[in-house]
Amino acid sequence: MSRESPLRAAWETVSDVAAAHRAVAGVTRALAKRAPLVLGRRPAYEPEREGRGAQGGRAFLADLRCEIERHAGVNHPLLARLRHVPFTRQDYRVFGLQHYSLVGTFTTYLEHLLVKAPSSQAKSWIAKVLVDEYGEGSEGKDHAELYREFLRSTGSPEGEEYETPLHRDVTGFVAEHLRICRDEPFLVGLGAVGPGHEWSIPRMFPPIIAGLGAAGFQPDEIRYFTLHVLQDEDHGSWLEEALATFAEAPEAQAQIRRGALLSLAARARFWSAVQDQIVRYRQPENVHLRAPARAGSSAGLLTLREWKRKVQGAGITAASHT
Amino acid sequence: MKILLVQPAPFEPGRIGLENTIWFCEPVALTSLAAMVPEHEVKILDLRLEDDVELVRVLNDFEPDLVGVTSMTTDCYQAKATLQTAKDVLGDRVFTIVGGHHPTLAPEDFEDPVVDALCLGEGEDTFRELVTHLATGGDPRALGGIAGLRFRDAHGSYTTSDKRAQSRSLDSFPAPARHLIKKYVKDYFFTVAGPLASMVTSRGCSFDCNFCAIWEFYERKTRFMSAKLIVDRMEALEERMVFFLDDNFLTNRRRLEELCDEIERRGVKKWWGTQGRTDFIADHPDLMRRLRDAGLVMVLSGYESNEEDGLAALLKRNTVEKNKKAAATLMDLGIFSTGIFMVRPDYTDEDFDALYAHINELGIALPMISILTPLPGTQLYKAREHELLTKDRRFFDLLHSVLPTALPRERFYARFAEANRVTWAGWEKANLAVLKNRPRFVLEALPGIARFIARARHYRPILESAETHLRDEVGIIDPNARLAAAPRKRRLPLVEVRKEVA
Repeated sequence: MSRESPLRAAWETVSDVAAAHRAVAGVTRALAKRAPLVLGRRPAYEPEREGRGAQGGRAFLADLRCEIERHAGVNHPLLARLRHVPFTRQDYRVFGLQHYSLVGTFTTYLEHLLVKAPSSQAKSWIAKVLVDEYGEGSEGKDHAELYREFLRSTGSPEGEEYETPLHRDVTGFVAEHLRICRDEPFLVGLGAVGPGHEWSIPRMFPPIIAGLGAAGFQPDEIRYFTLHVLQDEDHGSWLEEALATFAEAPEAQAQIRRGALLSLAARARFWSAVQDQIVRYRQPENVHLRAPARAGSSAGLLTLREWKRKVQGAGITAASHT
Repeated sequence: MKILLVQPAPFEPGRIGLENTIWFCEPVALTSLAAMVPEHEVKILDLRLEDDVELVRVLNDFEPDLVGVTSMTTDCYQAKATLQTAKDVLGDRVFTIVGGHHPTLAPEDFEDPVVDALCLGEGEDTFRELVTHLATGGDPRALGGIAGLRFRDAHGSYTTSDKRAQSRSLDSFPAPARHLIKKYVKDYFFTVAGPLASMVTSRGCSFDCNFCAIWEFYERKTRFMSAKLIVDRMEALEERMVFFLDDNFLTNRRRLEELCDEIERRGVKKWWGTQGRTDFIADHPDLMRRLRDAGLVMVLSGYESNEEDGLAALLKRNTVEKNKKAAATLMDLGIFSTGIFMVRPDYTDEDFDALYAHINELGIALPMISILTPLPGTQLYKAREHELLTKDRRFFDLLHSVLPTALPRERFYARFAEANRVTWAGWEKANLAVLKNRPRFVLEALPGIARFIARARHYRPILESAETHLRDEVGIIDPNARLAAAPRKRRLPLVEVRKEVA
């Protein structure tokens, strides 16, 4: 994917709002049948950080980007470890089997947001990202398909991704984002998927890619990750344009920030969970001071198949993993 | 200047949990460094006791100008990951440095864009000079004037400054800044002793065992803290139990006698433990009795082998007879003996049987069986580097064989893992002696004994399973790797090896 002038590419897309709308009209209608349109319950603005006063939209976003880039979810120690510890394909198999459950769900978050977007312009920004996530720039393969290719290269057999018990904070991450995008005001959701995801992934994936390279993975085996660094920089820029139109009022800024921080808090828990699974793969029981493991501690954990069934039973559409 | 010193967290594989069960020591290296820069704001973070994301929280809140980390061999990757996180969160404006045994002996393992400098050898004076240089606006890429550093220069290349002389009197160093680890002190222990304070009262060792790098690190020199200062520092500790971390505490007879005099004269009531050679124990039973009366309750010694040629091969300069005499002396005095034994990768079933029988005969309160491992920086490493199955530093933990084994690996680990179970007779004998001879200590250590039993109950099934070791090695060490058939004596790291290396 070309990295030249993502903003220009974004503007070109926006200029064809009708086409973007058509591309997602089916999704919008389908979701609208399930959930009523919620245009935003806006709580009173309560600055969460001392000293943050009213500021312009761009300045707020620049400030927020700094905050995200220093957040524990984006700088989780696991990521630094992936860069420096000689993990093996087997370790990355454990990693990938947990991570996979996040891969197909991002489009669902966007679909929920699309329904709630308060203006055509906002819808078109989200639609553009959605089109990309559906497979643009990856030879028609959606991200779940790309990720399954990566899983196969780790030695994971077909279907293992649906039958592996998932750590509670892994399913918790998805559940939290579904909740944010469905139940919280639109801008909170936009904060979670925009700054919370698209600004953080280009910072989180390079150490993963470095670790994968050190473990001997070939570029074509890890396209999911390399594609995301490039693509999400573009997505982040596009979403920043969408956010800039909303982020003038202090109330709106508070909602965007709240969404981003909720997402990153869930992300920090998610990385800890993945690390825990990597450790426990090799040491199902251990006596470490911080996180002792006990036999049977994975009892009650759901596989992706079971979790999806449960979530769909609750009336939530989650994930296009298949 | 704001300084953050970090003890990295263990991250498996490579750790079976020994330090969480047998010995969990305070980061003395970090408190010693912190004491050298009292005019600066210093925090110490022991990540072994913190949640993982605490590092990021502290980096964000404290915003240090310098982050330092210490590293043993197995911490190598964790140390770099810590500095990586510091750079990721704070950017290139934060100065990063790593010190300790492994960076000194294998600096190439730390040459990485996230490491601005390595402290080589003893760190206190180097660290103080570096901090002064940076705090006064000195160029962080022009550190050639500070001895004992390997640093990234203005061109991004690593440059080594002059060697730091390691001759300063130990009495002239300030007391470690233990107040900076106050929140952690209740968590440090050695077996049943805890909360446990740790002190270093001498540095270096005059012996030259080929599996150990202490004598290389300290250039074969040993320096001692005076008996008076030891007791001053002991008296200042809140903890009732103290461990002297000296590489070889039992070596200077005169100093030990002075220590006993000083403890008796001042009436200091502390229980203490230390490390020392068995030949000294065997040769000085009267002094050991005096030390016992002055509060000595535990001695950790390297017995290493049940064979004379096994000891000779390690350049241990000791005998099986001395080992036996030392174990008997300790049992007689009611001193809790911790004995380290080394299983060689070329062990056969008969060798395992003989070692375990020997341990039972000796009667060791806590036998710790390890696997002979060529640690980077040792003579053994130089001699056997070409035989290594992996250079993954997590496996240099003495609990995995980084060399090919004579037995199939599964069998080797099965025999290794049964050590605890089959040395019960000696364990029982020695512990009964402690119970009988030191009832006051046992009574006082009851909470620690309860904690130790709880930890050991969980730990034993892990330690006693060959699977624990094999799972760590999946994808890293070939499970079928075997030592080629060769005469056993030739496979030993014989004394001649050292001559060959030289």
